[in-house]
Amino acid sequence: MIHARLQRQLSAYADGELSPDERREVEAHLVTCIECREELAGLRQVKHLIGRLPEREAPQEVWQGLRRRIAQEEGRPVASGMLETIRAAFRRPAYAVAAAMLVLILVAVPLVKGRIDRLQAADIGVDVYVREHALVSSADPFVDRAYIGLLVGDANLALAGARRAPGEEP
Amino acid sequence: MTGTHVIIAALVLGLTMPAPAAVRFEARAPRPAPDAASILKTMLAAPALIDYEGTKVISTVRGTRAETVTILEAYKRLGRLRLEFLSPESVSGRLIVDDGVDTWQYEPSMHLVIRGPSFVQGAGSPEPAEDILRRYTVSLLGREAVIGRDTVVLALAPGAGGSNRHLWVDQATGVVLRTEERDAGGEIVYVSYFSRISYSLNLPTALFTFRRPAGAKVLSFHVSGGRVTTADELRRQAGTPIVAPPRLLNRYVFRDGRVARHGAFAAAAATYSDGVGVVTIFQTPASRMAFPNVGRETVVGSMRGPLGRFLDLGYFRVVLWQSRATNFAVLGNVPQTVLMAIAAELTGMK
Repeated sequence: MIHARLQRQLSAYADGELSPDERREVEAHLVTCIECREELAGLRQVKHLIGRLPEREAPQEVWQGLRRRIAQEEGRPVASGMLETIRAAFRRPAYAVAAAMLVLILVAVPLVKGRIDRLQAADIGVDVYVREHALVSSADPFVDRAYIGLLVGDANLALAGARRAPGEEP
Repeated sequence: MTGTHVIIAALVLGLTMPAPAAVRFEARAPRPAPDAASILKTMLAAPALIDYEGTKVISTVRGTRAETVTILEAYKRLGRLRLEFLSPESVSGRLIVDDGVDTWQYEPSMHLVIRGPSFVQGAGSPEPAEDILRRYTVSLLGREAVIGRDTVVLALAPGAGGSNRHLWVDQATGVVLRTEERDAGGEIVYVSYFSRISYSLNLPTALFTFRRPAGAKVLSFHVSGGRVTTADELRRQAGTPIVAPPRLLNRYVFRDGRVARHGAFAAAAATYSDGVGVVTIFQTPASRMAFPNVGRETVVGSMRGPLGRFLDLGYFRVVLWQSRATNFAVLGNVPQTVLMAIAAELTGMK
């Protein structure tokens, strides 16, 4: 088990990417394990050869092929593009948190607003009733229009947001 | 000179006659008492014939307290009204100008103008006196002088369940100089009278044209939705289940309805009439309106019926209750017992 674990770390060891403790553990193992010493030597040789390889430009036809594929990707239906964007966004935690908060706001705002509207309706409802009924009653030929004016005026003022005196009712 | 002008000229001649001369004339040859129909006709025709301005005092009993309001009232043919509130302090300075199309209310304490629909109706097409006589029991109680003018005292009894009205009608002009309303127990609940009145043939139009004070904010409150004439149309307009029977207490008949709105608030309003008075039923889903905590507690229907609230506004009374996840309210110029009976009937309906 230990041998297999340390063998997987040989490439990182060759590149100097291990912590000091891990490095010491690998070095102690190399002293006793011929197989791992041989594999390390092979790895170092490959890295050396790769390092000596010259850099080459990709052939022009490769770039043209890539451009064609990109153009084809862009021509795909928007929905799948959007879907991919959403998927990509969810691969990043910050975007996922922002999206969750947006959903929360979209759900919570109507709920809170609905609750506020409901309480406000209880405050103004009776004034709306009185105003509406007073206007309906104005068709009565015997009604006192001055009193209708008083009732409608008081209701208007309450609906405009004027504060009532303590204990005062519609 | 047209026929109308002849009538107006005759009225003005009568109005401008000095009061003592009128009294002396009365002493020499008492005029025969007019019949109820002719005085009603004079009264109903007055809004189309005469302008006036005067000081009006209104007293109402709201629950256990009395409230008195003094107003300068001016009226101009056809259907234009100006009200300047003098007292009490809470309404002092308020101005309402109704130009027959819109009502403009100015509140000096808030430097605010509120625009709404006109509430001066019927001046152009008065209801026939015969129709009113069919619905009311009208009796002549005699003659009395009010602020130096001859009046005929009419008693109007709408039958069971309505308020009894006494009207002091100026015999020469048809203008009601004093009104009293008594509840079913005979208690006076509303008094309105002119302490001074001056008639005119042509008050200045400028008096009935509203001019917005500089810098005042203007709000528009046209709360009523479109009027519908059937309960089914009202149900469709409301978009929520409502109770709207064709008749209430086998006496009040569905007259019309609308959806009253103010901001996010909406209530289906159904108006019923017995030919004399009107009652309005308002319904709002409980999910959109918490139950209003106003008035005093009452029980609707039997002892196990829903709890409700009763609110006495003097001229109008209100019963509120909640049933079937709906807030109900019934308003009317009728005794509390009638409103409670309507509430019980609506609660018991399937």
